[in-house]
Amino acid sequence: MDLRLTPEEAAFRDRLRSWLGTTLPTLPPKPDRDDWPARRAYDTAWQRLLFDAGYAGVDWPSEHGGLGASPTEQLIFLEETAKARAPYVGANFVGLLHAGPTLIVEGTQEQRAAHLPRILRGDEVWCQGFSEPDAGSDLASLRTAAVRDGDAYVVNGRKVWTSHAEVADHCELLVRTDPEAPRHKGITWLILPMDAPGVTVRPLRTAVGSSEFSELILDDVRVPVANRVGAENDGWRVAMVTFSFERGTAFISDVVESRNLLAETVATAKATPAPGGGTLWDDAALRRDVGTLAAEVSGLWSLIRKNVSEASAGMIPVQGASVFKLKFTENRQRIGDLAAHVLGRASLAMSGPGGHVVEDRVNTLAFTIAAGTSQIQKNILAERVLGLPKEPRWT
Amino acid sequence: MDLMPSADQRDLRAGLRAWLADAWDAERLRAAAAVPAPPFDRKAWKALADLGVLGLTLSEEDGGMGLGLADAVLVFEELGRALVPGPLVGTFLAAGLVPGAAEGDAVVAVVDTGEAVAVVEHPEAATDVLVLDDSGVYLLAPGDVAGPPAAHPLDPLTPVAPAASIRLDGARRVGDAADAARLRRFGRILTAALQVGVAQGALDLAVRYAGERVQFDRVIGSFQSVKHLLAEALVRVDLARPAVLVAALTVDDPGSGDPGEAAATAKLLADAAASGNGRTGVQVHGGMGFTWEVLAHLYVKRAWVQETAFGTAAALAEELAAGIG
Repeated sequence: MDLRLTPEEAAFRDRLRSWLGTTLPTLPPKPDRDDWPARRAYDTAWQRLLFDAGYAGVDWPSEHGGLGASPTEQLIFLEETAKARAPYVGANFVGLLHAGPTLIVEGTQEQRAAHLPRILRGDEVWCQGFSEPDAGSDLASLRTAAVRDGDAYVVNGRKVWTSHAEVADHCELLVRTDPEAPRHKGITWLILPMDAPGVTVRPLRTAVGSSEFSELILDDVRVPVANRVGAENDGWRVAMVTFSFERGTAFISDVVESRNLLAETVATAKATPAPGGGTLWDDAALRRDVGTLAAEVSGLWSLIRKNVSEASAGMIPVQGASVFKLKFTENRQRIGDLAAHVLGRASLAMSGPGGHVVEDRVNTLAFTIAAGTSQIQKNILAERVLGLPKEPRWT
Repeated sequence: MDLMPSADQRDLRAGLRAWLADAWDAERLRAAAAVPAPPFDRKAWKALADLGVLGLTLSEEDGGMGLGLADAVLVFEELGRALVPGPLVGTFLAAGLVPGAAEGDAVVAVVDTGEAVAVVEHPEAATDVLVLDDSGVYLLAPGDVAGPPAAHPLDPLTPVAPAASIRLDGARRVGDAADAARLRRFGRILTAALQVGVAQGALDLAVRYAGERVQFDRVIGSFQSVKHLLAEALVRVDLARPAVLVAALTVDDPGSGDPGEAAATAKLLADAAASGNGRTGVQVHGGMGFTWEVLAHLYVKRAWVQETAFGTAAALAEELAAGIG
């Protein structure tokens, strides 16, 4: 056991740092939060910069155009880019982290050739059509129907929580192809071109006030059978292969951000006069809360290192990833509460000085819901790790 | 960077775990806790020392195993998990300073003069008291430090006596101020490792019970409310364990991190895991959890003992807060 980087890893880090140092100052200003075409342009331009510098698809195998980096190098890449405040993966998220890796494992030669290079270069943006109004935590109950008609599927239904749908070129879509089969057995994974007739995107306003997500209405949309990934009715398994990509590296940039938020809160407390004289930082209870949250952030970073070590040893850190998500999301929400407490009534606007902290606090309401609610995560840990009996099912 | 135990480390841990499962099984713990003032089992202490665990980090020419603190925390987690009684941390810190400590012939309690209320654990078993002071490390005889033992110690397996008065003039000085700081840090990390073990042991016991106990015609572990309690306990211990390991590795490899920050983090998270999981362990056992017979109470009590040593939650958090910004 050791904490050191190998000379190769240190060299990788140094090259990356130097590239970030020369590249980041040349970036244009970030676009407005609600200007989606501009956001797509910004995010894909960043992806193109990464591609040209050889950093696109850090975790993708090299035979598919990626960097084929080791889990530790992936950690370094995510840590360094976050610390340098490089742009986030943004609109490239689904393509790079979900759809692309799925095509690598399950796609045909034609499907890979059509999409993988374009995703890596930032030429193609993907969105995810998994959740439905009546299929959230219980995803396998999804009902969007696909009926075979010649060389196409005719798709009807609704999807929700589809990020970047307004500007996406393709959607990874889960549909029900066999309504008679058991829930998990009648699902198929399709590549949906977003410009197909019958696709309507209706932006959903989130609690933050932005249109991060959309609702997708599919009305007699014809999707070529050639766009099917994996076999018909095998889509649940195809969707689940993404779990095998777990390297313990998700949320690395978010933990860096948690640290930044804590440091910023301390700075604010030290600069804010307290009613009875001195500053807010003279409050021992506040310092104690900050110290406790800082210990948790530091513990989360150690857990990342442990999960990445497992991945380096060829294991999939399933338990560690679930534990991480539960703790990280809860910790970040408490950091938001603490930051707001320090801001006091300056925390009443999501704009102006301190506004980003307030926006982050609102945004993190979604952290314990997205990608598996904390309650579902606890069920999973209790059943799959601790071996407790499954919940009785009602179907 | 690699936080996976090596084959040797896995063997060390597995061997000790198997030995402890036999030497300190539930019946043995129950019997030890049954009498009001259990006599210290010197034979068991010697047997434990014979495994080499107390002199683990001493060099081989000094009769140790020449291993690092990272190996020691793997061992101490197992000792905590098995609720092994005795001044483990004090004797480990004294190995190399007190003849016979590594061999199990000397039993060494540790007292830190920085604590607001100083207490000697295992006062009657102790042959020596190691005193950690800002000015250095000292040795005193238990009779010089310990007052009369408490009639009802919180943890029946950790007898305690208030430290009457600690007079360092005339005490044998065995280390300087830097040694004292180093031993405090080691003590903090090793106590954190014990706490991770306590947290895991309490969770194991509760999970087993939740899978057996039937109410409303179902095992109680099938209820989400119980599952979530146990999953939260798993999160606590799985967060603390890598933090303890990283703290030990940071000590073993100077320059690989900030050992002060890492040690405070480790202790704070491990204390929260041990006391939180100890409480969960009692709660999941329901009424039986409040009996003397079921071992659940021993975990939470040991957690409460150890969370007072080498840095309380408030002091650790204050220390960490001072390091930000």
